[in-house]
Amino acid sequence: MSARIAQASLFAVALLIGILLVAQLRSQARPTEISSLPAQELSQLIDTLGERNLELRTGLADLRETLREYRVSGSQGQSALEVSREDLRRITAFGGLAAVEGQGLVLDVEGHLDAIALNDLINELRNAAAEAIAVDGIRITHASVAVQGPTSLVIDGVEVGTAFTISAIGDPDGLLNAMERPGGIIAQLEQFIQATIVARQSDAISVPATEIDLQPATAGTAG
Amino acid sequence: MNLGAVRRPRSSPRATWAFTIAAALGVIGFVGAAQWNSSVERQAFTSSAQQVLAGQVLQLEEEQQQLRADIADAEAEVQRIQEESTSSSATLAALNAQLERARLAVGLTAVSGPGVVVEISDSNRVVPPGENPSSYIVLVDDLRDIVTALWASGAEAITIDGERLVASSSIYGVGASVLVNTSFLSPPFRIEAIGGDGLLDRFQSHAAFTGRVAQRIEFFGLEFAVAPSDRLELPAFVGTARFRWGVPVTEVTP
Repeated sequence: MSARIAQASLFAVALLIGILLVAQLRSQARPTEISSLPAQELSQLIDTLGERNLELRTGLADLRETLREYRVSGSQGQSALEVSREDLRRITAFGGLAAVEGQGLVLDVEGHLDAIALNDLINELRNAAAEAIAVDGIRITHASVAVQGPTSLVIDGVEVGTAFTISAIGDPDGLLNAMERPGGIIAQLEQFIQATIVARQSDAISVPATEIDLQPATAGTAG
Repeated sequence: MNLGAVRRPRSSPRATWAFTIAAALGVIGFVGAAQWNSSVERQAFTSSAQQVLAGQVLQLEEEQQQLRADIADAEAEVQRIQEESTSSSATLAALNAQLERARLAVGLTAVSGPGVVVEISDSNRVVPPGENPSSYIVLVDDLRDIVTALWASGAEAITIDGERLVASSSIYGVGASVLVNTSFLSPPFRIEAIGGDGLLDRFQSHAAFTGRVAQRIEFFGLEFAVAPSDRLELPAFVGTARFRWGVPVTEVTP
């Protein structure tokens, strides 16, 4: 009898441990992490998430429009062909396989930027929603990074001098504000690296297609 | 030696029970105390304006999950229609083959192949008095350096925690949080890269890796592991692949 009571007690204890452990793990999960962030950081997160969600909503609307066009075209071969052509234009422009024109921002850079600084500039432009970027006519693709070569910086095998131009297509105001904000990337680089970076908006920027073959040699379509 | 022949002294059943229950009570005490502590923190949090802000963050993240799922569904539907229409005409078939190749080249298709897996997380060391605690956590620069070294070493496709890197991808720090594409990520970070033979060696010896992040791993004890993999499967990019400001200038043939 006493053994049964002991077993029942142990079962109850184990159950209690389980419940407490689950509660503890839940309390350590994401909500607590978020709640522990300072209000300023939470506000930044809200702004950034709001912007990204707006981009996603716009992208979703465009995709649904493409689907609608395909459905409307139905058996009409020529219409389906045109929708596919438009999709190919979109994808090749997005990935750097096609040249792009449009409004945006031009950065005239002069000075001794190292590879990290140049990659940071490119990253900042991407974060500010630049749609197409080129450094001295070298199209920046997903795999383009600046590295230190024997005598100068190199992107995609092409040397970049100490004076160069970065062209970025996108919202001119959004790009300019992101680059020139107090404490932003330009302010940081000019403070820590001997360089001058002049930003100017432009209505007519041309960004060429990449000269690199982006077809993977090792990676294949999954599935 | 015949281990089976060795007899261990047996403790009495009562002593065993007592030990078991004492251990269980000890665990309850520990977990209960931890739970109580975190409950106190949460209580404190609920009384501040942060509750409202944190709730908004979670709501936006939920909304984003839904949007990404909807985009993935719509992309899949577009591709299905294009694949089905290949039999319509030779011209359309050629165009859709071009589309497939373009998607593969720019990161809009899930890919598989051999490669490298890198994992990095915050240091487990106790921060010495007077030192900056942020030195002991993974910074956005660490992830950028790793990714730069992988691309420069010949990686063909990279993901960070499943986020596929494409031409528009940025790796961005918002306070202590890391934003990749549209997703906020937290450590441990898992970076997967597909690439040809020698990717691991080239990565580990590349200046973009050895110059800064490798030193931080050593000095501050960031948790780090890297290993080759025979087969990785990386998802396609999920997000917006459309331009608002840019217009393609090349004509598409056929």
